[in-house]
Amino acid sequence: MLELKCVSHCYPGTRRAALQGINLQLNAGECLGLLGSNGAGKTTLLSLLSGVLALQQGELRWDSSQPRLGLVPQQLAFYAGLKVGENLELFADLYRLRGTERRQRLQQCIDICALEDKLTRRSEQLSGGEQRRLNFAIGLLQPAELYLFDEATVGVDANNRQSLLAAVEALTADGKAVIYTSHYLEEVERVAQRILLLHEGQVRLDLDKRQLLGDDHGLLLEWPDAPPAGLNELLARLQLHAEILPKGLRIAALNSQQLLAISEFIAAQDGLPNLLRFGRPSLEQLYLRLNGGRL
Amino acid sequence: MRLWALTRKEALLLLRDPHALAVLFIMPTLFLLLMAGAMSNYMQDKPPALRLVLELQQDDDASQFFREALQAQLADSQLLPSSDELLARVHVPETFADTLLDSPHLGPSLSFPAQFDKLSRQRLRSAVSIALAQTRLLAYLEDSGVIDAKLSRAERLKLVQQRTQSQIIEQEQLASGDLSGRANATQLSVPAWLIFGMFFVVLPMAGGFQREQQSGTLLRLRCLGLSLSTLVLSKLLPYLAINLLQFGLLLAIGVYGLPLLGLPALSLPGSAAAYGLLAISIALATCSLGLLLAALARSSEQALLLGGGINIMLAAIGGIMVPKSVMPAAMAQLAEVSPMSWALDAFLTLLVGHGSLADIAPYCARLLLFAALFGAGGLLLFTRRVQRTQWTTHY
Repeated sequence: MLELKCVSHCYPGTRRAALQGINLQLNAGECLGLLGSNGAGKTTLLSLLSGVLALQQGELRWDSSQPRLGLVPQQLAFYAGLKVGENLELFADLYRLRGTERRQRLQQCIDICALEDKLTRRSEQLSGGEQRRLNFAIGLLQPAELYLFDEATVGVDANNRQSLLAAVEALTADGKAVIYTSHYLEEVERVAQRILLLHEGQVRLDLDKRQLLGDDHGLLLEWPDAPPAGLNELLARLQLHAEILPKGLRIAALNSQQLLAISEFIAAQDGLPNLLRFGRPSLEQLYLRLNGGRL
Repeated sequence: MRLWALTRKEALLLLRDPHALAVLFIMPTLFLLLMAGAMSNYMQDKPPALRLVLELQQDDDASQFFREALQAQLADSQLLPSSDELLARVHVPETFADTLLDSPHLGPSLSFPAQFDKLSRQRLRSAVSIALAQTRLLAYLEDSGVIDAKLSRAERLKLVQQRTQSQIIEQEQLASGDLSGRANATQLSVPAWLIFGMFFVVLPMAGGFQREQQSGTLLRLRCLGLSLSTLVLSKLLPYLAINLLQFGLLLAIGVYGLPLLGLPALSLPGSAAAYGLLAISIALATCSLGLLLAALARSSEQALLLGGGINIMLAAIGGIMVPKSVMPAAMAQLAEVSPMSWALDAFLTLLVGHGSLADIAPYCARLLLFAALFGAGGLLLFTRRVQRTQWTTHY
C-alpha cells in the first residue's frame, strides 16, 4: 500500500535533519502506531505522507496512482462559523460524495461521533470534546486508502473515545491502512498492530505489537519507604533478576511458583506495599523504558 | 461542485459575521448619511439665502433705488431696515445720492459678523457691487436725459437692468479629472463613501484566510488536491458579489434615501453600462488588493491592521475624506496614486460631468491595471502561502 525507502528531510535553516533514512512499509488493513517524543519527526513524517511537504530525499511509493487520504489533524480543522451539519455537508461536497454513498457515510460518521443532536448548532458553540468529535467525523467521512490520525481524541470523554477507537479498528478491519499517533499510549496499544518509535528523526524501533509487548507477565512492587529486608535474598533464591527502582523493584518475567513465594514473603511482613501490579507490561512502560523516560 | 461548495461556505461565513457586515454595509451608509448632511450647507448647488440689515441714512430716491436693485440681486434674501441680531450690515451713507457720479466713488460700507461664511460674503459683495453700479448708471442716464426721472422706480430699474444685462452662453466642457469642486454634497458623499466601503472587503477576505490557515482547514483543502484556481475563485467570487451589492445598495440610498432626510437626491445620468463597468473595475481592484493582503498578513490581527490602515491611507490621500478641490496642488497630485481617487474621478465624471462610458474608460483602465498587477502579485504570494501550509502540532 505504501513504502518509504531511505526518506530524509531537512527544514531550511536547520542543520539537524528532521527525518533521517526512514524505511517503512505499510499494508492495507494495518494500523501503525507512530510514537516519539516532541521533535522526534512524527509531524514531518505525516506531512510527507499527506503531500504537505515535498519529498527531498529517498523514495515514497504508493500502490495506487492517486491515493486518497483521510485526515484527522490535531488542529480543529473545520469552519467554526458553520453549523455542524453544514461543515459535514461542505466536506462531503469537497470529497465528491454523492447519492447513496454520501447519505450512508454522513449518517455513519454522525452516529460514530455522536453528533446527531448537534447538527444544527454552530461549530464554535460546541464543547472542546464535541469539536474534537466533529474534527474526527470530517476525517472519517473521506473515502480513503490511508487515514492519518494525529492526537485525534484529545479532550473527548471516555465513552465517546471508545466509540472513536472502535471506528479506527473498523477501518483496519475494512482493509484500510491507518497511521495513528497519540500521547495516549493505551489508545495506540489498543488500535495499532505495529509500533514505530521515532527518536531524533530516526526509526528506533519498528515491531509488531505482540512481538514488542510479548507474553511474559511481570511484577511491579513499591513500598512507602524501601523494600523490606530479606527480599533480595528471596529473589536470589528464586533465581529472579529484578530492576531496582527508588522505592521498589520490577521483575520482567516470573512464573506462578515464583509469584506465590513472593506473595507469601509479603504477607509475612508488617507493612503492605503501596503498589503491587502483576501482568503484561503496558506499551507506556515499554515506551518510557525505550525512550529514556520521556513521553 | 467543489467551487460552488467553497463559494457558498465563504458567503455563509461572511453573512454570519456581524463585524464584517457592519464594516461593509453599516459603516459606509452611516458615513454617507453623516457626511452628506454635514456638507450639505457648504457644498450646495444654490447659493445660501441671506438675512442682512440695509441701513439707509436717507430716504431719498437714489437710496431706495439701491435697495430695490439689491433686493433684485438677492431675490431669496431678507433685507431688514434694522435689527439687534448679529447680522451682516450694508451701510448706505447720508451723502450717497450726492456722490453717485463722483469719480473715484466711495460706495456703501459692509460689515460682517465673524461666523458669516466666505461663500455668503462673496455673494453679498457681488450683489452690492451690481446694485451700486446700476444705481450709478441710473444717475448717469437721468443726468444725460436718457431715462425720464418721473418714471416709477420699478420701470427705471427694469430699463437699467436691460442696459446692464447680457445674454451669456454657458457651455459645459466635460472635465476629465477632479470635479469635486463642482459637486454638491450628495454627488461627492455617495460615491466617496461607496468606494471606501467597497475597499473594506479586504478585511473579511484577508481575515478569513488567516482563520482558515490557523484552524488547519487549509491543510485539509490542500490535501484534497484542490486546484489553486478553485481555491482563489472561491475567495474572489463571494466578495465580488458583495462589492456589486454594496454598489447598488449605496447608490439606491443616494437616490431614494437622501431626499427623505431633506438632502438633494442623487441623479444618475449616463448609461447603465458605464456604471456597470465602473462597478466591476472597482470590485476587481478591491478583491485583488484583498488577495494580496490575505497572502501577506500572518494573522487575523495583522490582516485587520494592515487592511484598515491601507484603506484609510488610500482614502485620506485619494480625496475620499477631503475633496481634492480643497487640497493644495501637491496633495492633489499625490492623490493620483490612490485607486480610490481614480474611482471617485470616474464617478464624478458620470455624476457631475455627465460623461459617457468612453469618458470613464481611462479611469476604469487604471483600476483594471491595478487589479491585474496586485492580483498577479497576490496570486503569486497566495500560491506560495498555500504551498507552505504545514501540518502543525500543539502537543
